[in-house]
Amino acid sequence: MSIFEYNGSALVAMVGKNCFAIASDRRLGVQLQTIATDFQRIYKIHGKLYIGLSGLATDSQTLYQRLVFRHKLYQLREERDMKPETFASLVSAILYEKRFGPYFCQPVIAGLGDDDKPFICTMDSIGAKELAKDFVVAGTASESLYGACESMYKPDMEPEELFETISQALLSSVDRDCLSGWGGHVFVVTPTEVKERTLKTRMD
Amino acid sequence: MASKQHANWSPYDNNGGTCVAIAGSDYCVIAADTRMSTGYSILTREYSKICKLADKSVMASSGFQADVKALQKNLAARHLIYQHQHNKQMSCPAMAQLLSNTLYYKRFFPYYAFNVLGGLDSEGKGCVFTYDAVGSYERVGYSAQGSGSTLIMPVLDNQLKSPSPLLLPAKDAVTPLSEMEAVDLVKDVFASATERDIYTGDRVEIVIVNAGGIRREYTDLRKD
Repeated sequence: MSIFEYNGSALVAMVGKNCFAIASDRRLGVQLQTIATDFQRIYKIHGKLYIGLSGLATDSQTLYQRLVFRHKLYQLREERDMKPETFASLVSAILYEKRFGPYFCQPVIAGLGDDDKPFICTMDSIGAKELAKDFVVAGTASESLYGACESMYKPDMEPEELFETISQALLSSVDRDCLSGWGGHVFVVTPTEVKERTLKTRMD
Repeated sequence: MASKQHANWSPYDNNGGTCVAIAGSDYCVIAADTRMSTGYSILTREYSKICKLADKSVMASSGFQADVKALQKNLAARHLIYQHQHNKQMSCPAMAQLLSNTLYYKRFFPYYAFNVLGGLDSEGKGCVFTYDAVGSYERVGYSAQGSGSTLIMPVLDNQLKSPSPLLLPAKDAVTPLSEMEAVDLVKDVFASATERDIYTGDRVEIVIVNAGGIRREYTDLRKD
């Protein structure tokens, strides 16, 4: 079995009208055994920039620590927050540094740019960026998520409808994946506010 | 003398394809795409994966189409004998059991075929049976099999979620949709699966079984 599937995860981000949503499951497992059901895999970089890290949890946390460190250095030197595009390039560069011994994670980055334009992007474990206009998915439930998002997504949704759509896509996908689930976590980010919600799901 | 050659020939291939079936209160919809592939090549864009086994049972099969052909031939022969012995068409639940037995008969050299069987039961209610390659089967309200099943199944769950099989007393597995809504749902899920699965595409063949008989429809899908 792939090392990317050792802990199990489901990650998805969607673009709406002047807003975005990023969602994940809450399970941390060791293969088929569930260790925790309150695991965080979406991290805040700043008020309008979030990163979700799917794949091997230990590498995700290490990578997150390095990203926070680099972002803090940037803030000190530039006296401002990073733009999502810049941050995506930073993540990509850090991943590619480890080209021949990679961090076993697939990141999903979502943020609002300086004119509040939503930005979403995913990457493979060695930093190949994939920018998308509609939605991106990652983790062990990625195939199910592709199917669900492809059917449920429509462009220019308002924040409330976007929340409903991303939640339905996440819930129906994780129920068909043994390695992810046990609850969900959704962030809906608009220029004025961030709504963070926890979802209850099947516990099996 | 040349060194010993390794046997690298496989009796199996995977020709891809996706099959979906949905049961309603008085109808059954069975659908499959018409693309047949091997690796990155498309062998044909108009290959039917759907086979009428009896008046009220229809099978859709993905996997290795040579094995599927052999399986269909076998079932057709067994059904002919049944007709001679009983002077009637086999019912869909009986055909379901026959299919299971036929698959399990080759337990140690299986037919590489992933089937869904749909039709009407003896009360005229829609029924769907879903299988693995060695004959394990279950009666369900809807199912997806083949290369696009992982993309389609969560969407069907979301739209048609049937009552839990653990509920007591047991609830009917049929879906609440009308025949037309079910056909539209099938078209939608195939269009979605085609976007992300290279083995699904070209055209979807939809077979509708109801009291009036069997009806066929086709809808185009992406060809890339």
